[in-house]
Amino acid sequence: MNKIKQLFVPIIFSVFTVAYIGCDLEKEIEIDLPEVENQMVIECYLEPGKPYRVLLTESQPFLDPVEDPNTLPTISDAIVVISRNGVADTLTEGEFLDFVNFKVYNYGSSTLVSNDLLSEYRIEVTDQEGRFAFAETRILPIVPIDSIEVDFNETDTAANILTWFTDPPETNYYRRVLNLNTLTSEPEQAFSANDAVFNGDDVVFGTGFDYTFGDTLITTLFHIDEDYYFFLETVSAAEAANNNPFAQPSFILDNIEGGIGIFTGLSYDRDTVIITE
Amino acid sequence: MKSIFSFLFFFFIGTSLCFAQNKDQVKPERYTMSGYIKDGATGETLLGATVYIKELETGTTTNEYGYYSVTVPPDSFTVKFAYIGFNDFEDRYLIKENITVNIELAPEAEELTEIVVKANSNREQVNSTQMSVDRLTTKQAKILPAIFGEVDIIKTLQLKPGVSSGGEGSSGIVVRGGGPDQNLIILDEAIVYNPNHLFGFFSTFNADAVKDVQLYKGGFPAQYGGRLSSVIDVRLKEGNRKKFSGSGGIGLISSRLTLEGPIVKDKGSFMFSGRRTYADLITRTINKANEDNPDFDKIPNYFFYDLNTKLNYDLGEKNRVFASGYFGRDKFSFRDDDINFDFDWGNTTTTARWNHVFDPKLFLNTTFTFSDYQYTINTEFDEFSFELTSGIRDYNLKADFYFAPTPQHNIRFGGNLTYHDFTVSRLEANIETEDEPLFASTSLLDGWEMSIYANDDFEVNDKLKINLGLRGSGFANQGTFYFGLEPRVSTKYSIKDNLSIKASFARMYQYIHLVSSSGASLPTDVWFPSTEKIKPQISDQLAVGFTLSIGEQFILSNEYYYKWQQRQIDFKDGADLFINPDLEQEFVFGRGYSYGTEIYLEKKEGKLTGWLGYTLAWTWREFPDISGGQRFHPRYDRRHDISIVMMYELHRKWTITGSWVYNTGNAYSLPASRAIIFEGPGVQPRIVNIYPERNSLRQPSYHRLDFGLVYKFFPRFGEADLTLSVYNALDRRNPYFIFFDIEETELGLPVSITPKQVSLFPVLPSLTFNFKF
Repeated sequence: MNKIKQLFVPIIFSVFTVAYIGCDLEKEIEIDLPEVENQMVIECYLEPGKPYRVLLTESQPFLDPVEDPNTLPTISDAIVVISRNGVADTLTEGEFLDFVNFKVYNYGSSTLVSNDLLSEYRIEVTDQEGRFAFAETRILPIVPIDSIEVDFNETDTAANILTWFTDPPETNYYRRVLNLNTLTSEPEQAFSANDAVFNGDDVVFGTGFDYTFGDTLITTLFHIDEDYYFFLETVSAAEAANNNPFAQPSFILDNIEGGIGIFTGLSYDRDTVIITE
Repeated sequence: MKSIFSFLFFFFIGTSLCFAQNKDQVKPERYTMSGYIKDGATGETLLGATVYIKELETGTTTNEYGYYSVTVPPDSFTVKFAYIGFNDFEDRYLIKENITVNIELAPEAEELTEIVVKANSNREQVNSTQMSVDRLTTKQAKILPAIFGEVDIIKTLQLKPGVSSGGEGSSGIVVRGGGPDQNLIILDEAIVYNPNHLFGFFSTFNADAVKDVQLYKGGFPAQYGGRLSSVIDVRLKEGNRKKFSGSGGIGLISSRLTLEGPIVKDKGSFMFSGRRTYADLITRTINKANEDNPDFDKIPNYFFYDLNTKLNYDLGEKNRVFASGYFGRDKFSFRDDDINFDFDWGNTTTTARWNHVFDPKLFLNTTFTFSDYQYTINTEFDEFSFELTSGIRDYNLKADFYFAPTPQHNIRFGGNLTYHDFTVSRLEANIETEDEPLFASTSLLDGWEMSIYANDDFEVNDKLKINLGLRGSGFANQGTFYFGLEPRVSTKYSIKDNLSIKASFARMYQYIHLVSSSGASLPTDVWFPSTEKIKPQISDQLAVGFTLSIGEQFILSNEYYYKWQQRQIDFKDGADLFINPDLEQEFVFGRGYSYGTEIYLEKKEGKLTGWLGYTLAWTWREFPDISGGQRFHPRYDRRHDISIVMMYELHRKWTITGSWVYNTGNAYSLPASRAIIFEGPGVQPRIVNIYPERNSLRQPSYHRLDFGLVYKFFPRFGEADLTLSVYNALDRRNPYFIFFDIEETELGLPVSITPKQVSLFPVLPSLTFNFKF
């Protein structure tokens, strides 16, 4: 569906390509953007069995290029507290690397996230400038992958994979990520979906015949909450709105009060298939 | 409910009785002169032609079907029949019984008819209670310069004050701050839901088939309803009743042909008109020639076509029947090794009409219309296939009575009933290996829309005229019923013979809503009914102004308006509007208001004709869920809008035309800051733009000069011309959209950011050959 949505812009531009040939229809201009204060950007994904990790950065004026491409705009000396059912844990500042997922965090703790689905989590962040932000979340149950099928095309030279799962009856949101060979590779697919059109049914997420013998495909099916779903959707829409004259500007929907970002649980099932003859 | 409909019923019946009683008391004997006014060359009825009784210094105009009726005391009168572009006809009539006088006016000399810019005379414009209206003939649209030489009546309307385009090259219109979805667009009384081809760059109206266009921006007559901001009433030609004839043209992107002629001379006629673009013939040839070239990227195929047809026949003196239809489609397809993509969309409308003269004073038009807009997307991707259909279908029955008991009263009343059938989405996804669909979803809704109305155009004395109307409308959908009372009042006071002041108030209800969050008119926009949660939109518009006739040739008008809009609709940020079975949850509700002034000076006759229009306007929207509840300008808010249009006849064979438009740039949004988002496992970090409040920036202003040259010649078969159009003759780079050209590191971090403006059209010359026989 997203593919089809994205086709509109190429359709329009293909029709008018002829108008552009030999015509200088693009030019540099000067723009005075409104001045806005930098905001705290908080990302924290609670994965059962893993320690608390938070990436705390701040937003930058849009037209300012990065001074050092190797440095993130992190916020230092902030007080970052994660509470589970009211029991607070203050995170320490440092460099916390997640080599599996190729992520970096600047606040962490050795406390492990519980897999208790009833626990309520809250994050509070206060920085040296007096900015304060907070959010709340909980962990969702895993929705298991029922099966993964590998089909070959008519000439048996290319394969696709079909990931089957059963959608529970209530309203659910998913994120499907498909990586080729390693989790740190640019994902083959990364999209979010709600179950409005398949609520309670057997569901399949497929691919094209894009794979061949020896490929390792890692399918991850995240069961995500509504806040994370809308965060992902609006982040995608905001990214797409930049060069698209037909898109409305999208404002990020998140669950951080007093900042930008997301505080959410990560519940996922992951399966790996190697395509063999 | 019942009491309200009863009130409306008694309003117009009571009004009629009151006048009848008045007639009995004051002047017991009155007789009616009535009939049709037609074009002597073709037999086409003339809409809005004037009938003036000199001794009484009063008169009337023909209705939309060319019928007039005037009731006078028994006497002998000099009656003048007039319509601009035609020679006046004057004669004396002894009216001592009801008489029928059908008039055929002779077209004026060729040099004048081609340069007539407006159908109604200065006198009619000054004396009419109707304000905020523009009427066009297609002759005007045909000689003005047009993009790619494609004559477009909607784009000609955009040159009028108070009317602006949705964007560069777009045939969407915005009227007095109303949204593009708040225009009622009717073709021979059938609603056209998507009046655009090619994502809004061309309208669906083939100028060869169109007879008359009226645009109401305010002061809406009571017979119109269902949209908040404007009514565009398009009437198709009926066909030549005298002889077989045709017209057509060969242009840069399309060709067209219209054939018309009598079924039985002076009793009935037909008209058939078609238009098709042919870019796809070229792209198909190129694709075929490169079939074996592995490095060739296939070009999508696209074309659109329109077919119009109309039949009419007189069944005696008192009955006339019509049937007309429109069928248009846009077809886009793309084929390559991985994906087959087909996207079709279009409108179908059908109108069946019966005109009946009960009595010289009472005329009835009964109409059945069918409107359909559908789009279908078919995608095949490897073993997957996906089909989506969406649209709306209407069945409408309406009756309109015209009652002219005295020269002072023109009463109109009637009602209509529409059944709306909404296919919000019908979706099916399949995989070759499974017999059953992977998933299928259907979202169907329906609703009944109904209205009754009455209005009286009442000449109180020779200075004061009032048009008093009331419309009662309702909408029923799944147990929810909405009702709206829509008062309509217009008044004119003549200060001098050539100067009148006017004022109007109109309330409008809109029961169906367009689901569209984009700045362009996309064929995937979906119409959605009012429901328990989505209440009807309402607007109230107040307008005041004056109309001044300066000699015979010029007319000047100035209007001021204020429009309040309640229950306006927008969408949540990140709303999923595409194939969402729970679309209602995505709506947010707010209010809007707009105000401004429009100045219009027109020269209507002579070698040089044209107009100057200026609009100063403000448009605001206020939604609790958008921009933190702060008011903002919609994208199409334009502070200043100027248009100058000129047509000059150099010689019998040569006509030069030109137009210049200037407007304030669109309001738009750009990000003010950015953040880096890591976004969880399995994906790379990305830079995300953060926007401040909506539409807080302005694009640079827009201006464009178009130029045209028409060379006429007279071959044996009839008439022909070569029309040169130069769109954007100054080759100005007008803003279409603005984006940031960003140079990034491998991690996607920006190291340089350059704002850039993209323009859509450079100077575009085009040549069209037109013919008529």
